[in-house]
Amino acid sequence: MSEFRRDRVSGRWVIIAPERAARPTDFPVERRYSVGGFCPFCEGHEDKTPPEVAAMRSDPQQANRPGWRVRVVPNRFPALRPDAPIEIVGDAACRGMTGFGIHEVIIESQRHILSLNEMDDAGVTDVLRIYQQRLASVRQDSRFLYGMIFKNVGSAAGATVEHSHSQMIGMPVVPETVRTEVRHARQFNEAAGACLFCNMIDREVAKGERVIHVGRHCIAIAPYASRFPFETWLLPTRHVPHFEDHPAEALGDIASALRTVLNRLDQALETPAYNYLIHTSPLGEKSADYFHWHIEIIPCITKIAGFEWGTGCYINPVLPESAAAFLREASKLGRSASGGRVAASS
Amino acid sequence: MTTILVVEDDPNQCLLYANEIRSAGYDVITAHDGREALEVVEKARPDLVVMDVSMPGIDGIEAMSRMLAKDHKLPIILNTAYATYRESFRSWSADAYVVKSSDLTELKDTIKRVLESRSRPAAPAGA
Repeated sequence: MSEFRRDRVSGRWVIIAPERAARPTDFPVERRYSVGGFCPFCEGHEDKTPPEVAAMRSDPQQANRPGWRVRVVPNRFPALRPDAPIEIVGDAACRGMTGFGIHEVIIESQRHILSLNEMDDAGVTDVLRIYQQRLASVRQDSRFLYGMIFKNVGSAAGATVEHSHSQMIGMPVVPETVRTEVRHARQFNEAAGACLFCNMIDREVAKGERVIHVGRHCIAIAPYASRFPFETWLLPTRHVPHFEDHPAEALGDIASALRTVLNRLDQALETPAYNYLIHTSPLGEKSADYFHWHIEIIPCITKIAGFEWGTGCYINPVLPESAAAFLREASKLGRSASGGRVAASS
Repeated sequence: MTTILVVEDDPNQCLLYANEIRSAGYDVITAHDGREALEVVEKARPDLVVMDVSMPGIDGIEAMSRMLAKDHKLPIILNTAYATYRESFRSWSADAYVVKSSDLTELKDTIKRVLESRSRPAAPAGA
């Protein structure tokens, strides 16, 4: 039987309808694949990108030359521009503002890899560190109110180049999705005297059925009201509102957990296209201290269609408890990241 | 003389671009789809390619990717009616991106600029 579930963070309703599929992985998955050809993000092709704004490289004096591990460049054709003035446009009925902002591309490896989990833990830690640096950089400028880091992997997830990369968009507004989550976190804190996410972590660990991975500094869960099959949240166990403030000593464990989750999704779903997004507190907002940064990972399995557009509700054909159990088992069943689908657990 | 390959599936536009670029003092050869363009590049070794994007079969971005995989120093200008292809990071491989206009001044200026920049030491793309 299907059931309605409400996500406490976003407030959105989800219909969990597990009878629609016989097994957790019985879906046509949008996979990522390589088309080959020339890649403007590979080492040696630095002249194809705008000059880097940050990089991790053995010799800092060699900017825009080979010898880097992670590289950040402005988007050559950005959606928002840092040199645009911030001005209100329109009238009372149609209010807007000029397109001020920043749009950067984080090239995660000098090698032509298709997904972050093809790197080792140290490589993923480098990527998380540079995410922190870029958010911290944006935070220093009071014109920015939010910085969103997101990743598209595979064309079905919106990626236009296969070389593993992420993007950061810094904006002079706080997106409504984030504002709503912060409001719910604040309301929970005022009512319960605790962090909504810390409370969620305690409950999930105690219950166990939706836990996918437990690390020293974070856990991965299938959220109770998952919008999508195999949606996974990575939650740091320490309450830190802003991702960029998270202590450096925990990043290695968080990187390892992120790799573990991506490896298990690869094993269970045969290298799916996916997105991940870092939900972090708005920059410089005191009320946002109730928030607790986390990473949401969404494999591309179901599509957003008329019902979802019309209601903001989602129909998820996989019970989150089944998805979590399947992903826990994925490592035991063991297949290579590029290998075939694992057998369904009984 | 500098040879420019114009890749354009619309025969009238192809003729227009060829005539205009020729009048600017370049030698011009043409191809009408991505596959033919790949063959022409192999045989004629042009100095620069002006590449339409939306074409049947192999589109301009895919053709550019295959050309650069063989010779990543080949200068390529994407010349398209659509600004939306700029959203693809694969378009960064091009030396320049020109949105088609009835006035070909921008295209001719871009050809000149790209050829001049190639005669200097390489710098990161910023266009």
